[in-house]
Amino acid sequence: MDNEEAKFILKAYRPSGADAKNARFGAALNQAERDPALKTWFEREQARDKAIAVKLQSIRIPTGLRESILTGGKLSAARRSWWQQPAWIAMAASIAILLTLALTWRYRSVRIDWNQVVAQISNDAAHGELHGSHGEAANQLVAMLSSSATHLSAPMNIDLGKLKTDGCRTLSVAGHEVMEVCFVRSGAEFHLYVMKRPVARDLPRAPQFATNADIHSVLWTDADHLYVMASTKDESALKALL
Amino acid sequence: MSDDAFSQLVDMYYPSLYRFALSLARSEADACDLAQQTFYVWAKKGHALREAAKAKSWLFTTLYREFLRGRRRGERMTALEAVPEAQLEEVTLEPETVASMDGSVVLAALQEVEEIFRAPLTLFYLEELSYQEIAEALDVPVGTVMSRLSRGKAQLRTRLVSRVETNSGKVVPFQSSTNKSSHG
Repeated sequence: MDNEEAKFILKAYRPSGADAKNARFGAALNQAERDPALKTWFEREQARDKAIAVKLQSIRIPTGLRESILTGGKLSAARRSWWQQPAWIAMAASIAILLTLALTWRYRSVRIDWNQVVAQISNDAAHGELHGSHGEAANQLVAMLSSSATHLSAPMNIDLGKLKTDGCRTLSVAGHEVMEVCFVRSGAEFHLYVMKRPVARDLPRAPQFATNADIHSVLWTDADHLYVMASTKDESALKALL
Repeated sequence: MSDDAFSQLVDMYYPSLYRFALSLARSEADACDLAQQTFYVWAKKGHALREAAKAKSWLFTTLYREFLRGRRRGERMTALEAVPEAQLEEVTLEPETVASMDGSVVLAALQEVEEIFRAPLTLFYLEELSYQEIAEALDVPVGTVMSRLSRGKAQLRTRLVSRVETNSGKVVPFQSSTNKSSHG
């Protein structure tokens, strides 16, 4: 850095010394310490700057300016609607954040690994000899499902609460309570698993068919429930029941 | 913002804001208007500012923008624009001479400095803002601020010397040139 560069930088150095800790001036200040001519120039520059600053800072402020600013500011603040007040804005923002967090948590809490669900159900269906539903509600449902007139993809009037109360077989799948009934159609055994339709963004829109070991399954939903039907019969047999 | 907080903010900055406005607008009435308008904008929008520490810089920025918005185009250029840099640097002015001058004379000389240099120069002398803060307030790069401070100081020195020599009966040595210099 030559003296001209140092001067260029030091011209921005405030005469009060407020920039003493600013690293950008370090090298130029050091150079001024080493070079007597530059040091003299800097001292005169600072003295002149200080004299000008003192003069400008002594400029009289018009009487009444402060009061008129305060009055104007208060009037404009008073004209603000209640909903523009900082407290209300902060409250609205807080509610929005809480809602977002709550929704996020809710969606996360019901996010389901469909592959895991189907695999678990298929494993359960593979051991149908252990199944057995009880109660009037379950019997009525089995009778309906066993009828060749019933299409499972059509709306079905299923009351999960009543099924549970009546002793329908209940199991937990991926943290969800699922009711299960077995029924026979054309001599083949099928298992229907029903759970309350979860609140989730990734619910399949169309029936999803899968195969796990010897078990074929199809998953679908309606407005209220999520269903999985499983059987040793193949996909076409499942499709025929929908 | 509560009334007390607003009053504190006004007390802290209105003198500097007024002086800044006066250097820009060159009239007491316009300067008062600018200072008042700045706090009016603050009362309307300033509460949205997230960092209280930025209030100072926000106020100076707002005042400058209000000034630019209000002034007519074409007012910016002054006779000093045509003066070559080297010629401005040759002018010497002793600190003692400045100290002996009246504040209104220094202000008048400052008001003759080209506007593009006057804004950073005033903020520098008011010492409210560092050169980084000046850059932020005027929305120009730091290097540009340093350049404008350098050139602005030279212009102010020339105007002050001119006034001193006029008062002492000397002919003003200042000559305009046909060479236009660039500004950055």
